[in-house]
Amino acid sequence: MSISTWGWLVLAFPLAGSLLIALLYRVLSAKAAGWIGTLAIALAFACSVGALLGLLDRPADQREIASTLYDYAGAAGIPFDLGILVDPLSVFMALVVTGVSALIHLYSVAYMGSDRGYRRFFSFLNFFVFSMLLLVLAGNYVLLIVGWAFVGFASYALISFWYRRRTATDAGMKAFVINVIGDIGLVFAAILLIKELGVTDYGAVFELAPEAFTANEWTVVAICLLLIVGAIAKSAQAPLHTWLADAMEGPTPVSALIHAATMVTAGVYLIARSYPLFDLAPTAADVAAFIGLFTLLMAATIALVVTDLKRIIAFSTMSQIGYMIVGVSIGAYSAGLFHLMTHAFFKALLFMAAGSIIAAMAAIQDIDRMRGFRRAMPFTCGALIVGALALAGFPGTSGFFSKDEILAFAATRGGMYWIFAVGGYIGAILTAFYSFRIVFRVVYGEPCEEAKELEGGHLAHAEPVNPATGEVEDTDVGFPGPDHHIAEREWPMKVAMAVLAFGALFGGLIQIPGVTHVLESFLEPVFEASPIAATVHVSTTDAYIGMAVGGLCSLLGIGAAFYLYMVAPGSTLRLRDRFRRLHDFLFNRWYFDELLNALAYRPVIACGRFASGTFERVVVDGIVRGAGDGVGGLGTVVRTAQSGFVRFYALLVVAGLAGLGLYFLLAAS
Amino acid sequence: MIETPAIDYGALSPIIALVAGICVVLLVGLIGPRGRRGLSSALTLATLAAAAGLLVWQLGEPDADLVAGALRSDGLSITIGLIVVAAAALVVPLQLRDPAAEEAGFGETHTLLLGSVLGMLLLAEAQNLISFFVALELLSIPLYVLCGSHRSRSRSLESGLKYLIVGSIGSATLLYGSAFIYGGSGGATDFTAIAQGIGADLADDPLVLIGIALVAVGLAFKVSIAPFHQWTPDVYEGAPTPITAFMAVATKAAAFAVFARFFITALGPSADQWQPALAALAAVTIVVGNVGALGQDSLKRLLGYSGVAQAGYMLTGLLLGTVKGIDALVFYLAAYMLINMAAFAVIAVRERETAYGDDITAVQGIGKDRPALAWSLTISMLALAGLPGTAGFIGKLFLIEAAVAGNYTWLGVFIVVGSMISLVYYLRVVAAIWMRPAPRLAPAMAGASTEAAGEPGLPRRTGEPGRTPSGAPSGGRCWLVLGAILAATAATVAFGIVPSPLIDFSAHAGEGLASMLGPG
Repeated sequence: MSISTWGWLVLAFPLAGSLLIALLYRVLSAKAAGWIGTLAIALAFACSVGALLGLLDRPADQREIASTLYDYAGAAGIPFDLGILVDPLSVFMALVVTGVSALIHLYSVAYMGSDRGYRRFFSFLNFFVFSMLLLVLAGNYVLLIVGWAFVGFASYALISFWYRRRTATDAGMKAFVINVIGDIGLVFAAILLIKELGVTDYGAVFELAPEAFTANEWTVVAICLLLIVGAIAKSAQAPLHTWLADAMEGPTPVSALIHAATMVTAGVYLIARSYPLFDLAPTAADVAAFIGLFTLLMAATIALVVTDLKRIIAFSTMSQIGYMIVGVSIGAYSAGLFHLMTHAFFKALLFMAAGSIIAAMAAIQDIDRMRGFRRAMPFTCGALIVGALALAGFPGTSGFFSKDEILAFAATRGGMYWIFAVGGYIGAILTAFYSFRIVFRVVYGEPCEEAKELEGGHLAHAEPVNPATGEVEDTDVGFPGPDHHIAEREWPMKVAMAVLAFGALFGGLIQIPGVTHVLESFLEPVFEASPIAATVHVSTTDAYIGMAVGGLCSLLGIGAAFYLYMVAPGSTLRLRDRFRRLHDFLFNRWYFDELLNALAYRPVIACGRFASGTFERVVVDGIVRGAGDGVGGLGTVVRTAQSGFVRFYALLVVAGLAGLGLYFLLAAS
Repeated sequence: MIETPAIDYGALSPIIALVAGICVVLLVGLIGPRGRRGLSSALTLATLAAAAGLLVWQLGEPDADLVAGALRSDGLSITIGLIVVAAAALVVPLQLRDPAAEEAGFGETHTLLLGSVLGMLLLAEAQNLISFFVALELLSIPLYVLCGSHRSRSRSLESGLKYLIVGSIGSATLLYGSAFIYGGSGGATDFTAIAQGIGADLADDPLVLIGIALVAVGLAFKVSIAPFHQWTPDVYEGAPTPITAFMAVATKAAAFAVFARFFITALGPSADQWQPALAALAAVTIVVGNVGALGQDSLKRLLGYSGVAQAGYMLTGLLLGTVKGIDALVFYLAAYMLINMAAFAVIAVRERETAYGDDITAVQGIGKDRPALAWSLTISMLALAGLPGTAGFIGKLFLIEAAVAGNYTWLGVFIVVGSMISLVYYLRVVAAIWMRPAPRLAPAMAGASTEAAGEPGLPRRTGEPGRTPSGAPSGGRCWLVLGAILAATAATVAFGIVPSPLIDFSAHAGEGLASMLGPG
C-alpha cells in the first residue's frame, strides 16, 4: 500500500469507529462498544506504523507525501483542499496520538465499566482521536483549523460527559469558550495568509513566505502572533490556561487523553509545523518562548499547593507543555517534540494511576484524605512512582533525557536564551518536589481508612457525590456509574499502565546524547531548512554537563519533598502558616480566573443580559402582556400592535433612515 | 393596432406553470370538502415540481429579456427561483398536519403559498421599477395573510397584523425611493436605463442618493438588516411555524436577488457611494443579530435573530459587487435554505407533540427518544454556526474569501467573530437536546391541567387559547415530514464535504450578472 493510503486509513478507522458506535448504540452491548472503539484506535496505530515503515523505505529527502482526496480549489477558487501531508513530523505525531490513545481506550474499557453512558463515551472518544489526527495530518492551514475546531467540540462533549453535574457542564463551556478564542486567532492567521500569499498548503506557504516577507515584517509577525493565540489556548498556556484545571471534571481517562497525548500538544505541534514562518518572525517566536517559560514556572508553583490529585497533575501538564513551547520556540524542534512524546507516556501513566487511586477512594480526589496505599495497591503505586520519577526527570528515565535536551539547547544558543535554561532548571526542582509530594503522601505513611479496607480485600464504597461540591448524586446516565474499578482487579487497566510505564522508564533511551539519535535523525528532513537548528549544535560535553545539572535539580527536589513529608511531617503546615499570603496567592492560582472574569466574562454576560433583559423587557414582554390580557380578539391585537411597539419600530426605522440619508448627503457634498 | 411585445414563452414557462397551478389548487380547494389535504397538497407539490423542472430546463438556455424587458431570466433569477421552489416544496409536507392550515383550509393556504412563490420568482426576475414593486407586493400580501392564518391564536393574528404594518412601511419607503431614482435618472424605470441615466455624472447627486438610501431601507426591511429588523423575531414567533420557515428562507432569497440585481445593475455607477454604507449596515446587523439571539428561550425567536445575523453575512457577499461575492451569496442562500428548513421542521414537529410550543424546553432530552429529530436539529445548529463538515462552513468560507478578495477583510473578520459569538446560543440548543433530561410532565397533561402554569419548567406561553393539546395531531410521526427533515439534513452534510454541485449551481448566478460585475 502506498504511504498516503496508510495516512488516509489512520483517519478512517477512528471516524468509522465513532460512527459505528453512534449508529448502532441500541444494538451493541456496552462492552462491545468499548472493544470496537479500542480496536479502531489500535488499527489506526497499526496504519501509522505502516506509514512510518513506508517513509523509512524512502531516501531522507523524499519523505514528504501530500495526498488530496478532494480539491476545493478546482471547484470554488478557494485555496484549500481536503488533503493530508504525510511527513516525518505528522507520522511522529500520529504515532504518539494513536499509540497512547489506544492504551487509554483499553484502560477505559474497564475503568468506565459501570457508567450508564458507556457507548456515548466511546463514540466521543473515537471522535476526539479522529479530530486530533485530522489536525496533525492536515496538509494545509484550513483543514488544520477544521481539525482544531473538531477537537474543541469533542473536548467540550467529553469534559461535560457527566452532564448532570453542574460543575462538569460549566467546565466544558469554559474549555470550549477559551478554545474558540484560540480558533479565532487561527482563523485570522489563515485569512492573513490567504490575503498575503493566496495559498494555505504548508509546502506552498513555506516556499512563498521567504519571498513575500522580509524578516520581522509586521504581517508575518502578526500571523505568527495569531498562531500563538491559537497555540496557547489549545495548549493551556498563560493567560488562556484556566480551562485546563477545570477540565478535570471529566472522567479520568478523558483527562489522560486530553492532557497527555493529544489536545494540549496541538499548540506545540502548530509551532513546530509553522517553523518557517517563525524563523521569519523571531520576535513572535521569542514571545511564545517567554509565554512558555512563564507558564512553566507559574503552573509548577501552583502545583505545590493544590490538594486535588487530578488538578496537581493538570497544573503539572501546563508546566511541562511550557517546556515544549519553550523548546519549539527557541529552535530546539526535535527536543521539544521528544519531550512531547515522553510526556505523553508518563503523564498518561500518572493519570491512570490517579484514576485507580481515586476509584479506591470511592471518588474522593483530595490528597489530604489519601495515605499509605503501598500495601493495598502495589501495582498502582508502582506505576505512580514510575510516572513521578519520569516527571521529576530522575536520571535515566525518559523525562530526564527529553527535558535536559531542551535546556541544553537553550544554554548553547546563549545570550538571552540563558534565561530559559535557568528558568527551566528552577522549574525542574519544583517539578521534582510536587511529583514526590504526591508519592510520599499517597503511597507512604499510615494507611487511611479506604486503604485499610482495601488491604482487607474490600473496595471502599460511598454515597455518590460530586467530589468538587459534595452534592449528592445518583448513578443513572449523566452521572458516574455505581461501581469503581482499580488496576489491581482489571487486566485491561493493568496492561495499559504496564506498557506506558515501560515507555516512561525507557522511552528516553532513543535520544542519549552522543549515543543514540533515533528521533533527531528521523525528524531532521522536516527541520533541516531552519537556520537556528543549522547553527546551534549542542556538543556532547555540554549535553552531559546539562544532564548533570538536571539530575541534581531532580534529586534536590525529591530530597526536599522527602524531608518535608517523610522526615519532618507537619512542617508543611508550619510553612503554610508562615507564608499565608503566598500560599493563598498560589492556592488561588495567581488569581487568573478572577482576572479573566473581570476582563472578559463579565462584559460578555452583561451584554447578553442587556439583550435579554432590557431589550426583551421593553419590546417583548409588553407584547405578551398586551396579548395575554384580552381574550385574543382582534381588538386587543390591534390595540397592542398600535400602542407602542410598532411605534417603537417606526422610531428606530426613522432613526436608521435618517442616519443612512445623512451619510449619503455627506458623501455627496 | 396595439403592438404587443414579443414574449419568450419558453423562459416565461415557470411563471405560467405556477399561475395555472394556483388556479387549479384554488378551484379544487373550493369544490372539495374542507379537509382535502391530500389532493390539495399533491397538486401543490405537482405545481412546484413542474415549475422546478421548467426552471432547470431554463438553466441551460441563454439569458433572455422577457415581456418588453420588464423581467429578465438569467442565472441569478433561476438559481434563486429554484431555492424558493425547493423551500416551498419542503413546507408543503409540514403543513399536512398544521393546525393553522387546517383551520384556514388547505386549498386557501396552498393557494396563498403558491401566490407568494410566484411573487418571489417574479421578484428575482424583475428588471424594472414597476415589476420590482408589483412582484414585491405579490410576494408580501399572501404572507401577511398566511402569518395571521391561525385565527384562533391571538399571537398569529398579531404577527400577521404587525407584519402588514411594518411591511407596508417598508414598501412605502421603497416606492418613495423608486420615485427619487426615477426622477434622478431622468425618467428611467428599466434597471439598465437607470444605470445609463445616472452615469458617472449623477452618481453623487443628492436626489439619486436619497433614492438609494430609501430603496436600501425598503429592501433592508425585507431581508431583516439591522436596524430595520425588529419585526423579524416577533413575526417569526407568532406566525405558524411552516410559514415562518418559508418566510425565513424564501423571502430572504428573493429579496436578496432583487437587492443584488438592483444595486449592481441599476446603481452600479454609484457603487462607491453605497458600498461603505451597506458595509456598515452589514457589520451592525452581524453584531445585533448575534447579541440579540443570546438570551432567547423561544426557538423561533432565536432563529429569527440568527436569521438577522445571517442576513448580515449575506449582505457582505452582495455589497462587494464581484462575481465571487454573488456566487458566495447564492451558495449561502442555498445552504441556509437546507439548514433552516430542517431546523424549523423539527421545531414544528415538537410544537405539535408537546405543550411547550417553540420553547427550548420542547427539545430537551429528545436525543434519547427521537434520535432522528435530535441529530437533524443538532446538525442544523452546528451548520448555522458554521462548524466544519457542513454546508454552513463552506458558505462562510466562501463569503470570507470573497470579502478578503474584495478588499473588505474587516467584514470577513466580523463574520468570524459573529460566528464565534453565535456558537454560544446554538450550542445551548445542542446542550438542551443531549444534556438535559426530558421535561417531567406528560405533554397532554401539561396543557390540560391548570397547575401546569405554576410548574417551573414550563414556559409562560403555554396557556394560550386555541392550542389545545388534546386536539393537536401528532404530525411528528408523519413519514413525509421526517423524510423531508432527513433529506435536508443529509444534504447539509453532503454539501459540506463535497460542495462542488452546489458551487456549480451558485456559479450560474454570478454568470447572470457577470457583465455588470467586476472580476475577482
